Amino acid sequence: MASTNINLNMTSVENREYRLGTIIGWDGKASDLIKESAYDERSAKKHGGCASKGAGCKLCELQSPLNQETMCSNAIVQCQVGNLTDCALIDHSPIGCSGENSKFNLSMHVGLKRRGKPLQNTLNISTNLKEQDMVFGASEKLRQTIRDAKERFNPKAIFIGMACATAIIGEDIDSIAEEMEPEVGVPIIPLHCEGFRSKHWSTGFDIAFHGVLRQIVNRHPTKKQNDLLNIVALWGTDYFSEMLAPLGLRVNYLLDTASFDEIRQASEAVATATFCDTLGGYMATALEESFGVPQIDAPQPYGIKGTDEWLRAIAKVVGKEKEAEEYIESEHKRIAPKLAELREFFKGKNGIVMTGSAYAHGLISVLSELGIGHDAALVFHHDPIYDGAGKHQDTLKELVETYGDIPHYTVSKTRAFQLPQLLKRAKTDFLLIRHPGLASVAGHLGFPTLTMGDEHIPVGYQGILRIGEMLKGVLSRTKFNQVLKRNVKLPYSDWWLAQDDPFYLTHHPETLNDLPEPRNLKFSKDKESNSENA
Amino acid sequence: MSEALKTKKKSNSISDPRYSCAVGASNTVVGIKGAVPIANCSPGCQLKQTAFLTFENGFQGSIFAGAGNMPSANSTENDIVFGGIKTLDQLIKSTLKVFDGDLYVVLTGCVGGLIGDDVPSLVNEYRDLGYPIVAVDTAGFKGNNLFGHEEVVNAIVDQFVGDYKGERKKGLVNLWFEVPYYNQNWRGDYQELARILRGAGFEVNVLFGPENNGVKDWLRIPEAQFNLVVSPWVGVRNAEHLEKKYGQPFLHIPEIPIGADATAAFIRKVVDFAGIDKEQSEKFIEQENGIYYYYLEHFSEFFVEYWYGMPSEFAITADSAYTLAYTKFLADQIGLIPRKAIITDDPPQKFRKTIEDAFHNISEGVDVEVEFEEDGYLIEKAIKEVDFSSGKPLILASSWEINLANDKGALFFEITPPSSETLIINRSFVGYKGALNLLEKIYGASVGGK
Repeated sequence: MASTNINLNMTSVENREYRLGTIIGWDGKASDLIKESAYDERSAKKHGGCASKGAGCKLCELQSPLNQETMCSNAIVQCQVGNLTDCALIDHSPIGCSGENSKFNLSMHVGLKRRGKPLQNTLNISTNLKEQDMVFGASEKLRQTIRDAKERFNPKAIFIGMACATAIIGEDIDSIAEEMEPEVGVPIIPLHCEGFRSKHWSTGFDIAFHGVLRQIVNRHPTKKQNDLLNIVALWGTDYFSEMLAPLGLRVNYLLDTASFDEIRQASEAVATATFCDTLGGYMATALEESFGVPQIDAPQPYGIKGTDEWLRAIAKVVGKEKEAEEYIESEHKRIAPKLAELREFFKGKNGIVMTGSAYAHGLISVLSELGIGHDAALVFHHDPIYDGAGKHQDTLKELVETYGDIPHYTVSKTRAFQLPQLLKRAKTDFLLIRHPGLASVAGHLGFPTLTMGDEHIPVGYQGILRIGEMLKGVLSRTKFNQVLKRNVKLPYSDWWLAQDDPFYLTHHPETLNDLPEPRNLKFSKDKESNSENA
Repeated sequence: MSEALKTKKKSNSISDPRYSCAVGASNTVVGIKGAVPIANCSPGCQLKQTAFLTFENGFQGSIFAGAGNMPSANSTENDIVFGGIKTLDQLIKSTLKVFDGDLYVVLTGCVGGLIGDDVPSLVNEYRDLGYPIVAVDTAGFKGNNLFGHEEVVNAIVDQFVGDYKGERKKGLVNLWFEVPYYNQNWRGDYQELARILRGAGFEVNVLFGPENNGVKDWLRIPEAQFNLVVSPWVGVRNAEHLEKKYGQPFLHIPEIPIGADATAAFIRKVVDFAGIDKEQSEKFIEQENGIYYYYLEHFSEFFVEYWYGMPSEFAITADSAYTLAYTKFLADQIGLIPRKAIITDDPPQKFRKTIEDAFHNISEGVDVEVEFEEDGYLIEKAIKEVDFSSGKPLILASSWEINLANDKGALFFEITPPSSETLIINRSFVGYKGALNLLEKIYGASVGGK
């Protein structure tokens, strides 16, 4: 370790856009984005080396005057530390910020079932702030809610999530957390996750991890569990255990559905890996830098090559290279006939992936293995580097070098209005989407979508077959989408639908000076009634 | 009164929420055909509202410029520091360019409210140019999504519908009823109530949902003879506003009618108020009664002869409208015993007495003390402590109560947000048709020895 990039002494996290150079608008060839991202330069910097001056500093980013419903860091924190079995999360906010808790409760139920844990609800509580709290401050209410959380849930830790309103009025959640800790007798963990804070919600993952790293993960473990591997994940089905059993490893999933003790033992694990470098980079890097738990520097476990190398890298850490090779060989053999069958089925088919960045790279690898073409892809953000900055963690480069370039590679944060253009210029038979809001528009345009509700489905060798089987069903749903396309109108103007460039508004800012003539039914109605009177 | 609610500490906390905040009224806009909400809020605000009101609420889905299509400012740190007006201006311009709307409603959330952006002035500029655009302050700390709904309605009336000097048309009624998306059966319920009013001889101005004709129906509001508010409290503020603005009278009927008895009484009340000819409405009532009891007689055979564990007692927790309507129907028409009724939508104090009285007189010989509580933790505790006397109880509640209902061995249905184990396409539990649907839903789950 040349240097430490993550400072666990601070309560707040530096936004991804500052720490990693994350952008949410870009359009071009994937190979060009790789060049512009200058991963190696950035990696050298992260590892304390020198980069040539100016290189790898700032990526060109396309701004958009039109944005649409999207996610925030506060919601991400809720879906992370709000989904622990024995820790409570306080939303220090008006009640609307807790609107998605019910959805995360459903995720929790599904996740618990997948992991074989007993069913329970999330331990959530809101300070439920009102107008007078905005004027007089809400600290007393927060203290009361901390006491309520303790009484209601008797949790092992209490998180406090900051919201836009409480951040603007300057609530000092750090001091209150510190002050109240002795009274309630469990860690109180302030999280600076107000929604406006970062331009991309994925900063929220880092904020959640930062909190547990600071106040839950055991700083001085007395033992090492050499058969325990941390997997930074969400709620996905436990496919990792079957892949890691041949290496004699057990999985410690972080964070969703985990308990306080499972998080605490993260520092005892032999290493940390993840299903998505976007998600897991911060946690894995901090565990490496500050707790001495190495992270796996390998391509992500998608597609044959990625999975091979991922397994080999883990095997190396635990000294099970021989077992890994045997497993890899037997798996290659096992999936070959089915894979050949699927490749035959998907001959000539094309698909577009629309998800967060590193996960998209994994999914496109899987499509490639199935012989599915990928002219275009949409990622909601691009991190030119991840916190790990490992030699083998340049996921976009890995993708393009292994499976070929992507001519229409678009970075855009859930801007549904761009879909007509994105889908016009690329060949596609279906879309693979994660995050709500886009599938419906694609559906109106006639394309079937596979929403990745269980994010572990594409993982590993079997993941390729799982995706293949699912896509067969998805393709047959085209019939439904064609019915929709013929009969349902999108909310967009003819002018917009006639455009070809998804970033037309960005490339032609002058166009906003030329607004359409007002169409106001009020005036036509007034005219009507005037003429009637006349 | 529930022990759980009696021992309640003086606390503001809410666990397991049953409503969202004012900015969720973007969905009231989505309920009007051709209307486009413009969310002047942070990223995350609208996704959370969509999650709560449309997704985790029977997976109703959205339409047109709702959900993922909704324009949103997605305020950044920069907007907080330097003001968000420029960002909003760009958003409005690009929305006018890219969207094909008949009405645009700018909803400002917490951020705009706190940093003091002058949104009305900006929106006025566009209105002066002729664009049909409205600004409304829906900061989340000002109230819940029901408050927001009423704010949006008044803002559209004031800033879009505007002044009116013309005549009012006898027999034309504006229907102010359930809150779009929040009341999970709203689409079907609007259709059934409109069908009933038309059958009784009215011309119905349907302002939300599948039978709304878009904003031109909103422009007709002042032409109506009167406003009909069918809700324990939501919409009364709008009717009062319309009375002041247009001198238009209103009739407030707190209870949504379910079943033939209640619906006939409802029709007669409205007809009396309007003073329209009774011949058609009486003929309609007779005809609908005939159909209703034709079905009910068939159903009664199952009801009296099936002996595999049907519920006899029930607990219910939802907003005032559904809690009152369902309790009334089940207690008064079916003879289910209400053991617990908890209202979750925080009705203004001035309506609470009327609501309580309605529960005391819910049916001859039946009295239930309704309770008002918004904190899910306490609601769950109060239902948990109900000692159902025998057999399988019926629990009508939200998905927060699933585990609790399982523990009680109850027959369980979601009727209020969040509802994440229910899919709603087209259903209604009100009026004539809806009553039969409700029976089918409840007792359908009893067959097969369940």
